[in-house]
Amino acid sequence: MTGNTNGTMRHIPEEELHAYLDQALSRQQCVEIESHLAFCPACRAERDGIAALRDRTTALLATLAPPLRLAPPFDTIRQQHAARTSQRQHRLRSITWAASLVAAVGLGWTASRIVSPDLPERLGSIPYASEAAASRPPAPAPRTAGDSSLARALSAAPAVLAAPDSAAAKAPAVARAEAPRRRPAAVRSDVAADSGRAEARVATPGIRAPAFELSTLGQPSTGPDLELDGVWRTMSWAGAKAEAGDALPHLDGLPVVEVQLQGSREDGGRPLMMVAQQLASGEVIRTFEGPVADISQLLAKRTPTNPEPGALLTDSTGGQPSSTASSSGRARTTMAMQRGDRMLAITGTLPADSLRAMIRRLNAEMRTK
Amino acid sequence: MNDELEQLYQTTYTAVVRFLYRKVWDAERAEDLAQEVFVRALAHRPEKPRAWLFAVAANLARDEARAAVRRKRHLTLLKGDPAAAPATAASADDLVERDEQMSSVHDALDALTPRDREILLLWDAGLSYPEIAAQTGLAVGAVGTTLARARKRLVEAYDRQHQRNHAAHS
Repeated sequence: MTGNTNGTMRHIPEEELHAYLDQALSRQQCVEIESHLAFCPACRAERDGIAALRDRTTALLATLAPPLRLAPPFDTIRQQHAARTSQRQHRLRSITWAASLVAAVGLGWTASRIVSPDLPERLGSIPYASEAAASRPPAPAPRTAGDSSLARALSAAPAVLAAPDSAAAKAPAVARAEAPRRRPAAVRSDVAADSGRAEARVATPGIRAPAFELSTLGQPSTGPDLELDGVWRTMSWAGAKAEAGDALPHLDGLPVVEVQLQGSREDGGRPLMMVAQQLASGEVIRTFEGPVADISQLLAKRTPTNPEPGALLTDSTGGQPSSTASSSGRARTTMAMQRGDRMLAITGTLPADSLRAMIRRLNAEMRTK
Repeated sequence: MNDELEQLYQTTYTAVVRFLYRKVWDAERAEDLAQEVFVRALAHRPEKPRAWLFAVAANLARDEARAAVRRKRHLTLLKGDPAAAPATAASADDLVERDEQMSSVHDALDALTPRDREILLLWDAGLSYPEIAAQTGLAVGAVGTTLARARKRLVEAYDRQHQRNHAAHS
């Protein structure tokens, strides 16, 4: 920048003086400039002019300032940040809750249109009642996207008998359709911690403890019992415990009315299990546990005829045969929860909320075993 | 990092408010936006926080300006309706001028090109040449040139304006 002191001197460019005064130059550059200034009055004058310009600019800009106020304490900022983080989490939960609610309601509507136990001849047209029908289109004009995807899942279930792995594969697809905005990272595996809110989860077999909730609102039925397919062995409570051990699905504290098992340990897995328990009101709830495909199929069935009350029941405790839904006239509801490649279900003539609470309790109890 | 941010908050909060004020021209809004900037800094934990703060502030101010333009347009549409005459109550668009000098400086600032104005304001907010360069995409060497030009133009524009005002009053 500076020429030699002996010959013609280059003067310091304007912008360099600005930078110099702004202290934006390196030490080396500063030294060069200062040594030039020592010999060059013209540049000294230029420098003074620029210094004044800088000062005027600063003074003018200083008038463009709001009335001075103290900065609020930094904690205010921290609080706002914390509030926003929890808001985001809450919003995510609300979205998934709403999504699952829409799906559940939609499914109930769809299911009630399909299932009509009063007209046995229509049973043949239930898409998911048999393997043969699985290839048919799943549901009549579903109302929402949630409907069709869940209905499709039910119809897919029987087809799974041939390919046991795909049921689990289909379930995640359904869950994802229900709550598309859900991010996998937000999945919580602790179901018991929820306080009465339904949540749809992505069921990824083998990765976490997933939960997938269906709720099927059936027609009010006079024949309350689900027909139990296959070879069911009625057991005593003790016998069932001996065979299935702690895996028997039941709610602590309620008298057991019946236990039935299908399949055995020799099959390479836990048997399909049904435990009927009686509530104080006299109503019977049934708890099922077994492979996803089997349970799904079971839940999809309805009995074509009304069995005699108690006909399917053998009373292992020696008490009364349980009264059934016919007395209360209420619809029999089912709540199901997927746990890995198995499914837990409760049926009863209770409001969905009660069943949901029960299945959560059941899940929690079973998990601790 | 939390401590660092708190430190920065104490030392630069005022500068951020001022920087924003010169864009949104509303003291309260400037403070709200300034706090927003620091809340976001807590969330993002930027590596170069000082420069980052002003970059975010500039963005917020720009978004604010766009929203204001939309509101203005909306108000203009309503103008035909006598009942909907926009009140003189201050909106964010309204300039709160404290005195004539401020008004003159404001006008002088507006006389600059957007780039010159931005760089001048960033300098006045306390950013270094490298920080200004990084944020504006300018070469470090060009910052001095731009500041030289911006300062000169600001003062010239102010003097012109001031002379005009004086002439009008006399």
